[in-house]
Formats: sequence, structure tokens, C-alpha cells
Amino acid sequence: MRRFLNTPFFALVLKEIRQILRNKQLLFLLIIPPIVQLLLYGSALNPDVQNLKLGVLDYANVYESRELVAALTENGIFAAQTPPVSEAELSDRVETGKLAVGVVIPPEFPRRLAAGNAEIQILIDAVNANTAGIANSYLSQIVLQYNRRLKTTQTALPVQAQVLFLYNPGLTSSWFFIPGVMGLVLTLIGTITSAIAVVKEKDVGTLEQLLMTPAASWEILLAKVVPLFFLLMGDVLLALTLGRVVFRVPFQGNFLLLMVLSACYLFVTISIGALLGTIYQQQQQVLLTAFFINMPMVETSGAIAPVESMPPFFQTLSLLNPMRHYIAIVRGILLKGVGLEALWMHALALVVFAIVLVTISTRQFRNQLS
Amino acid sequence: MKRILAQCKKELVQFRRDRLTLALAFLLPFITLLIFGFAIRLESKDIPVIVQDFDHSNLSRSFTERLYGTNQFTPRQWSGSNPARDAIDMGIAKAAVIIPPKFSSQVRAGIPTTIQVLVDAADVNNARVVQAGVQSVTNFFMQDQRLLPTTSTVTAHTRLWFNPGRLESLFIVPGTFGVVLWIFPSLLMAIAMVREREKGTILQVYTSNISAVELLLGKGLAYWLIAICEAILIIGMGALLFHLSFAGDPTPLLFGTLIFLADSILFGLMLGVKADSQAEAVQGVSLIGFVTSLLLSGFIYPLNNIPFPLSLVPNVIPARYFIDISRDAFVRGTGWAGVWLSVVMLFVLGFFFFNVARKGLDRMQLSD
Repeated sequence: MRRFLNTPFFALVLKEIRQILRNKQLLFLLIIPPIVQLLLYGSALNPDVQNLKLGVLDYANVYESRELVAALTENGIFAAQTPPVSEAELSDRVETGKLAVGVVIPPEFPRRLAAGNAEIQILIDAVNANTAGIANSYLSQIVLQYNRRLKTTQTALPVQAQVLFLYNPGLTSSWFFIPGVMGLVLTLIGTITSAIAVVKEKDVGTLEQLLMTPAASWEILLAKVVPLFFLLMGDVLLALTLGRVVFRVPFQGNFLLLMVLSACYLFVTISIGALLGTIYQQQQQVLLTAFFINMPMVETSGAIAPVESMPPFFQTLSLLNPMRHYIAIVRGILLKGVGLEALWMHALALVVFAIVLVTISTRQFRNQLS
Repeated sequence: MKRILAQCKKELVQFRRDRLTLALAFLLPFITLLIFGFAIRLESKDIPVIVQDFDHSNLSRSFTERLYGTNQFTPRQWSGSNPARDAIDMGIAKAAVIIPPKFSSQVRAGIPTTIQVLVDAADVNNARVVQAGVQSVTNFFMQDQRLLPTTSTVTAHTRLWFNPGRLESLFIVPGTFGVVLWIFPSLLMAIAMVREREKGTILQVYTSNISAVELLLGKGLAYWLIAICEAILIIGMGALLFHLSFAGDPTPLLFGTLIFLADSILFGLMLGVKADSQAEAVQGVSLIGFVTSLLLSGFIYPLNNIPFPLSLVPNVIPARYFIDISRDAFVRGTGWAGVWLSVVMLFVLGFFFFNVARKGLDRMQLSD
């Protein structure tokens, strides 16, 4: 132990830790943006289909039509607004987006209902294709049920699809987004902090001084990376705690496995940052380039919109995105509670990315020194 | 006025010389447009589904055929002790349909039967899509097998307005314009502003006879012109690649874009004046700009799903108003009647940003 404490490597680690502790900007960067982003993404991103504004123009206004309106609004998906007075007003309100769904029940509705061929008109604002699709299928389901209620007293359909939602029975959207944001935060913060740590020495001109010390080049790099690595692991724990406490995201899987794979992913992000740091001379160039790289990485990772919905070309492309694999792992462990037997491919990809990137960045760093 | 134009010209010359900023101004916005426009989709097509048929009858087979007959689901095979659950756990299938034994005999006897569907709800939105899809397959199946009365008492005539084919690109691409034209012009502006201070050339500005407001206007004007070029490139290419065309009066979009770009520039100025280093400016703009325009603008998910205290924030976010205008121009087509308020709000927010930036500059001058 004593011998280790006397090595140049340990001295360098101490120096880095002191520098980090004195660097308010870095500490701020490690704590505040992750918290803000987790809270914002967790609550602002929400694909729920609920309380869609429904306007019913009920010309008939009889018991049966009111029954139909009640059937439409009783499930919380559609929320009735003040009824429009004319068809022109109804279509105007759908056009300007004040209503999501408009229903017209014609005056001859009761008469035609008795004859067995009543019709109603439904207008759906389909600008948002996704919401419109789901709303449409709810509507046809409701009309179908209504039809059955008119004919028979038996409410159960002959064949019923009973849907069971696994992993997230309440369909809480934050459970999907929190693992994504974890990946996003670690990527952004990891690349930027490590890039700054490497480039700063150059920017300020103290790299030569470091080179004159007896420490080897790999020791210099490792000493930079180690404290950062532990701080970022702290970010992982921070994100998990926030997810657990604020959003009640479940933790079904193995904690240790998640930590090991998170560590793997941190090596990836730190190496990307260090690589950027070796290429450039100034902080601002590094930050801009990090921005260049991070944007497409975030967009194709499945953090915000699911990878499975992307066109095939982008799905294939996203295999080259380490962040995508990490997010798949976090979702798998947190929500599904699966282990390596299901995630081995993603884990393997992460390990390969980590090894390749660490090798390249150390080599780059060494080249730059000599 | 002359001084403002001179300042503007100087900025443009400086801008042309810097390769990195040029790329930032045109290449990255374009790439972002491509990735957002092509890759952001919410609704999965070809969802892998595994069917576990315990009945092995003609009826159950015809249900399976119906299921795979839609273009929404694709078949997957998996064997094991518990194929349905395992396939979902392993990520092989997103949903499993379990047809019970005695399915056909019960249906024939008129006893209500349930088909169990397990859905991987880790992705919440697609869980709903799967549910809706299976539901409608079941309905079709019942009608097909004459389990339901063939003529229904009430028929709903549904019309999907503005977007009858439910093309997701019609929703995403006009929104992308808002995100891209918010992030990049403001980033460029903020960098340009901080650079002046970092290099110390702001002192030269102070000694010249140009006033603070003239400096801001001159710089702003130059970057506004650049932003207009960006907008022409982005909106033009977007319309071309994703087959968008004007649905109505294009003048609100024209005015809205000009004001929105000014907002974006002024926002960049505001942050640029406040930030001490380029690093800070880049981080500030990318974090605030990214978060506000992406999350709190209704770009991907509906704004009215945002919970209460947070739901107040979108009211002061320019990108949200611009996305309204842009979607109206390309999809809805209601023109001024539908979006005049958004244009006014953009104007008001721009005025606010300008005043904050001006005050910040005053303070900057005093402290030096």
C-alpha cells in the first residue's frame, strides 16, 4: 500500500482529484444537468392518449344518442368539451386544432336506429398521425360495443382479446424514458468532461510540465480518467435514485450486472471524449465537435423515439451506436429483469466498443506526446 | 444605420472565413433534418409477434392468418418450455398471442372466449399500438366468421382530416424545422458574441463610436441573414425530400419564420452576453435550446400531456409557436385565422429577448 502511495501515478491521481474539486464548473456539470434532464424528460415526454378534446354535435338529442355520447366519454380517453352549435363551428374547431375529435349525430338518428341503419360522422384531427391512429381504434371499439349493447343483453363479445401489458402494466411513460435519459446524460456528460480534462492541460500549456515528470504517458491519461470515472459512476447512482424515488421506476434485474455494464459504457464515453481532447487544441472546438457527435448519437439511440419504429436502414445504422446498446441494457435490466441470457449481444457490443475506443484513444494520446 | 450595416458586413466577412462555423451553420442542420425526418417514427411497422396456438383448428389458424395478414405484424417462431413469455423476455417478439385449447369448439357453441395477448410494454406507445392492432384484427375476425351481426345498427363514418394516410413524416418534418432553426442560429450567434469578449476585441468596440444597441443590431442582422439562408436550405430541402407542400396560405409561415429566426438570434445574443466563455455559451445554448425545443415544444408528443406546473413553460417557448405555424402551413392550412396568435407571441418573445440582451450588454460595459 505504502509503495503504491508513493508512485507518480498516485500523485497524479491526487492532483486530478484536487483539480476537479476546485473546478466548480465541472462539479456543476456533473450534478445539475443530469438532474434537470432526468426530471424534464421523465415528465415532459409522454405519448399517452388521454383527455382528447371531443366535441359532439348531437342533433338528435334523444336517450340513445346521449347513451352513445356517454359511452364515448366514460373511459377517460375522450373529454367532452362545450358542444358546438353548428357543423360549421365543429369543423372550424377541428381545423384550428381546438378539438381533436368531432362527432356528428344527425337528426334522423333515432328513426334510422329503429330501422337498424343509423349513421354517425366522426372527424379526427390526424395531424399527429400516431395519436390519431390510436384514437381511431378506440372509437371503433366503442362503437362496436355500443352496437352490441343495442342488440343483446349479453355484453361479452364472442371472441375477446385480453391484453396483458408486461413489464409496465400501468403504461407509465416515464418508465420507458428514464433509462433512455440515463444513456443520454452519461453520453453528454462523459464525453464533455473527459474532453475538457484532456484538452485543458494543452489549452493552459501545462502538458509539457506533466511530460517532464517521471510518470509514463499511460499513467498521465489513466490518472485523468480514474477520478472522472468514479464521479460518473456517481452519476449512474444519482440517475437510478432519481428514477426510483421520483418516478418509481422498478428495478427488476441484477444491480451488479447493471453497474458492470454501466462501467463498460463509461469507458466508451470517456474514450470518445479523450479522443476528441487529443485531436483539438482548444476547449471550444472540442465542445462544438462533441455537440456534432452527440446529436446524431442521441437521435438514433432510441432514447426519445423507439429504435423499432425507425426505418430498417436507421435500425441497422443504430447498431453502430454504443448508446443504443446501453439503453437497451438499462431497459432490459430495470424493466424486464432479464440478465445476460437476453442481453449478451448488447453487452458484447459494448465491450467491443469499449476495447476499441480505449485502445485508439490511448494510442492517440501517446502519439501526441511523442 | 450606417454603423449597423458596417458592423453587419464585418460579421459576414468574418463568418465566411471560419470553416467550423460554416459547417455548423449548414452541414449539421441538414444532417439533423435528415436524421429527425427519416428516423423519428413513433409507430412501429412489422412488429414481431409470436402465436402460440393450443387449439390447432381451422378457426384458430384463420385467426393467425388474419393477424399476419395485416402489414402491422410479422410472424416469429420460438420454442421452449414457455415460448410466449420467453420470446418477449429475450426480445425476439414484442407480443405473444395465445389461442386457448377448445377455442373453436367454444366459439361454435357460442360461449364467449378470450384470446390472451401478452405485450412488451417497456415501450409504452407501441404497447398501445399493438393493443389497438390486435383489437381490430379480432373485430375483423369476428365479422369474417359471422360471429357478429353483419349489418351493424350504428355505422361510424370516420374521416381522418389533414392527413388521411396517417403519414408520420407530415407531423415530424414541420416540427423538425422548428427544432433545427431554433438550435443552430442561436448557437452561432452566442459563439460569435462570446468570441468578441474572449479575444478581447470587445474593448476595441467600446473605444469606437458605435453604441451598444447598434452593435447588437449589427451583429444580429448579420446572423439573421445567415439564419434566413439556413431556413431556405432546411425548409426547401425538407419540403423536397419529404414531399411537403403548402396546404394553405404560406404568408403566415413566411412572416413567422422571419420573426422566429430573429427570436433565435436574439436568444443566442442574450446567452452570449451572459456567458463568460465559449464553452459556457455552447453548453448553455445546446442544453437549454435542445431541451426546450425538443421536449417542451410539442415536437414529438402532445403538449397537453405535460403535467401541470411544467405545462406552463411551453407558453414562453418560441419553438412551440413556430411549430404550430409550420404544421399549419404544411398540413392544416387554416392560414392567418388559425395562427395569428402564434405569430404575435413570437414577436412578443423576441422583444423580451432583445431587452434582456441589451441590459446585459450595458452591464458588461459598466464592469469593464
